[in-house]
Amino acid sequence: MKSVKPLGAAGVIGLVVALFVLGVGAGIGAAFLSDQPGVGGLVGSGAFLIAVMAAVLVVTIWWWRRLDEAAREAHKWAWYWGGSAGMAVGLALLLTVTTRNVDLSRFVAADTSAGDLILGGMMSILLFQLAGYTLAWGWWWLARMRG
Amino acid sequence: MNNRLKVLRAERDWSQAHLAERLGVSRQTVNALETGRYDPSLPLAFKIARVFEQPIESIFFE
Repeated sequence: MKSVKPLGAAGVIGLVVALFVLGVGAGIGAAFLSDQPGVGGLVGSGAFLIAVMAAVLVVTIWWWRRLDEAAREAHKWAWYWGGSAGMAVGLALLLTVTTRNVDLSRFVAADTSAGDLILGGMMSILLFQLAGYTLAWGWWWLARMRG
Repeated sequence: MNNRLKVLRAERDWSQAHLAERLGVSRQTVNALETGRYDPSLPLAFKIARVFEQPIESIFFE
C-alpha cells in the first residue's frame, strides 16, 4: 500500500484557494465568451468550460491521491448513499411541484429562458445531492469517532 | 471486527498522531480503526502488523 502524507491545513487552504481562483476565472471567462457571437463564440465557450473542468479534475486528482483509505471510503460511501438519497428526495420534491398546479412564477424572473430553467433544474438536483452527501459524510465520520 | 490497536499503541506509549505517521495515514483514520468501526484494507492491516511486529491475527480478531 502506498503511504500518503495527509493534507495539512496549508494543503486544504491551498486546495480551496486553487478552486476559488478556478471558479472566478471560469465565471469571468464564461461571461466574456457568452457575449461572443456566432459559432466561434459557441465553440469557444464550450472549449473554455471543458478546459476549466479539466483543470478542476486535475486539482481533485491531486487532492484524492493525498487522501488515505478511510477518508476515501468516507467520500465514496457519502457520495453513493448521501448523493443518491439526496437526488431521490430532490427528484420527488421537484416532480411533486412540477406535476401539480403550483405557481412557480414568483420564483423565476419574467425573462427566464428555457436554458435557464434547464440549468436551474440541474443545479437544484445537484444541491440536493450535495446536501445528502455532506450529511452522509459527517455521519460516516461521527459513527467512527465515538468508539 | 475488533482489534488491539489501542492497547498495542498504549504499550509503546505512542500517540495516535505518531502511529498515523508511521502508517502513512491520517490521525482520524487511526482513531476510526481503534473504535473498531472501520476495518482496514489488507495492505494497511499488513502494514500495521509490521509496525507492531506481530502477526495480523494477534491484532485483529472477530
